[in-house]
Amino acid sequence: MVNVLTPEATERAHGARSAAPALDSGGRARRRQAVVAYLFLAPTLLFFAVFLILPLGFALLLSMSRWAGFGLGDIEPVGLDNFTGLFADGSTFLTPILTNTLLFALGTVTLALAGSVLVATCIDKLRFQGLWRTLYFLPIVTTVVAVGNVWKYMYEPGGLVNGVLNALGLDSVAFLQDPDTALPSVVVVQAWASVGSAILILTAGLKSVPGSYYEAAALDGAGPVTVFWKITLPLLRPSLLFVCVTQFLAGLQSFALITVMTGGGPGDATDVAALEMYRQAFSYGEWGTASAAAFVLFVVVLVVTLAQLWIFRRKGEDA
Amino acid sequence: MTPPRRGTAAGGLSRRHFALTLPSALLASGCAAPHQGTGRPGDPVVLTLLSHYASGELKEALQGPVDEWNATHDRVKVRTKAVEFTDLLTTFMVRQAAGQGADIIHPYCLWNGQLVRAGVLRPAPAEHAEEIRRGYGKAAVGAASVGGNVYGYPTEVQTYALYYNRRLLRGAGIGSPPRTWRELEEAAHRTTRRDRYGNTLVQGFGLSTYDDSTTVGQTLALLNAAGGTFVSADGRSTAIDSPAGRAVFDLEHRLVTRGASAPGVNVYKAFPSGQVAMVISAGWWTGSLQPLMGKDYGDVGVAPVPVPEAGDRHATLSTGFMLGVNTASEHPREAWEFLHWLNTEKVSAKKGTTATRMSALQVSVGSLTGRADDMRTLLGKGGDPNLHPFLDALAYAVPEPNVPGAQRAKSLLRKNIEALWTGQQSVDEALRTTRRQVDQEVSRSW
Repeated sequence: MVNVLTPEATERAHGARSAAPALDSGGRARRRQAVVAYLFLAPTLLFFAVFLILPLGFALLLSMSRWAGFGLGDIEPVGLDNFTGLFADGSTFLTPILTNTLLFALGTVTLALAGSVLVATCIDKLRFQGLWRTLYFLPIVTTVVAVGNVWKYMYEPGGLVNGVLNALGLDSVAFLQDPDTALPSVVVVQAWASVGSAILILTAGLKSVPGSYYEAAALDGAGPVTVFWKITLPLLRPSLLFVCVTQFLAGLQSFALITVMTGGGPGDATDVAALEMYRQAFSYGEWGTASAAAFVLFVVVLVVTLAQLWIFRRKGEDA
Repeated sequence: MTPPRRGTAAGGLSRRHFALTLPSALLASGCAAPHQGTGRPGDPVVLTLLSHYASGELKEALQGPVDEWNATHDRVKVRTKAVEFTDLLTTFMVRQAAGQGADIIHPYCLWNGQLVRAGVLRPAPAEHAEEIRRGYGKAAVGAASVGGNVYGYPTEVQTYALYYNRRLLRGAGIGSPPRTWRELEEAAHRTTRRDRYGNTLVQGFGLSTYDDSTTVGQTLALLNAAGGTFVSADGRSTAIDSPAGRAVFDLEHRLVTRGASAPGVNVYKAFPSGQVAMVISAGWWTGSLQPLMGKDYGDVGVAPVPVPEAGDRHATLSTGFMLGVNTASEHPREAWEFLHWLNTEKVSAKKGTTATRMSALQVSVGSLTGRADDMRTLLGKGGDPNLHPFLDALAYAVPEPNVPGAQRAKSLLRKNIEALWTGQQSVDEALRTTRRQVDQEVSRSW
């Protein structure tokens, strides 16, 4: 038997010999591309490492340590003590601080959402919509300190709000001094201050609702209330979800407005998690407790956000 | 030559090592030693002094003696750094953690326990401690001490007394300020006025939730006047749940529920406007009231904090600041030398008298130091008579507790006082809750 190479076999053998260097050069090119890509990404990755990953890791370390905030060498591991301390008997973190935080966020979202849906629907039917949107957006571009101080004066016993009540023949209300009214009073301000951005998003959402739906509803004889409940609201769901999630996040992390208006008082009637974290770290030197509280708040924020996503998705499937 | 191994970077450092080293290096870079002058042989040592004398007359008042020191001392120079009081503790923390802690710091004495526990304050050397104990009043020394050790030279000392509006008291038929709690309550009720909607026109006795000074300060001043203390002698528990504490809480509760006090009113605005008849506050306020009230300041009088019963011994609260030396300072001897010069050396003051530079500095900004002899010399007979009750109080004032966790304990007390005033808690509940919360805090902090 004689070994004879057929032309096909010869071509295949040539092909195999020439493909190997091609593959090598292709791999090298891809590696070079990857290196270049990483080099381009490096500044961003470094930024994230320094300003996100490193602080996050440090906060996690602190949440399981005791540290007064003065010397890095004094960090003392304590395991989960900071977390258990937050929920120990006598601790005010769960009640009233976390409860206040949730009530504050819930109240803000409810008021802001209801108000913004109402106002956005009205604006959608008005002329000069840009002007109205700008007017309602003004509180957003105003500093929180100014907003808080103006409302604080308005709530004072001799302030505008009590002046109106007195003019109506009603007694004055100590809005920010009475523990029963202090939190709702601040909720109203937070909702007022954040309603502008919600209106902006919802009016954009309303614009995206096809007019043919309204025409069909009109032909079917549907009234304005039916149209609002059956067409407008369901089709606004993505915008509502966005507003709901962002408002909840802002409410759960609220700090500046409460600091300006009540400082957490009277007593701890308006004390919220972010304010307590600030005090624990910067006033009391309990960085471990503050970091543990931050992680607990993170879990709360995550759960609340996931719950909202789930509820809105389920509603979508039902519809 | 051995080729570099795969995956190495930066001259042989593996990726894993690099990943581990980067955060450590970034953290460690913050722990570098503080800058102490140029470090060249023969160059002067530069000490940094961090205080809250950040603006206006306070900044100038401190800069004067510092400039004098720098002009007369070649070997050691002092450089001042200042931040607002609200940022002072945070700045101590951040600079200390970054290895940039000042050589000399000027803390509020309430923080001393916290600073000592964190190893920031260096105990005063024996000769300085002895000099401080000898030269200052008991309250000032107590405020500058933790666990029996002295940690610095007391600077600004504030005592609490009763401010009253003569015109409002006279209008209610009261000729002299109250001396007992019974007289205080009676005067408060007689001077209170409200409109038909319940708005306060004149508050008889100013109880305010505005800040720690008005909420906690006046409560502790009344507590001390009743013979009580906030924290036990060993600093490991609270003594608020005592007959004296109950008496104070009862008094404040009565004043609020019977309408003589309106905690929602900011007394710092209302008193100068003639809308508060009486309020307990610290001596620094006189300096603010004078320009604010103009000729109406003549209506303002100051008297010792009333005591529960006639014949009881006077007592009140004192708070203050001190100048101490950082444990991280590389030149503690020079720092103490400067502090000794600033706080104990007598220089000529007015009319041939002498006083320390710090005493002259404090009086120039309307404040006091714990050196009663200096204060009497500097205030003399021609000064504001309203300052004298605060000066007299230096002899009997009780220092604000400064145990580790004191700031937290003070905040807890404030919350419970506010809960009492606003009807969220009864006197019993407020005392019980304060004791439970503060005990837990101060015992944990040691």
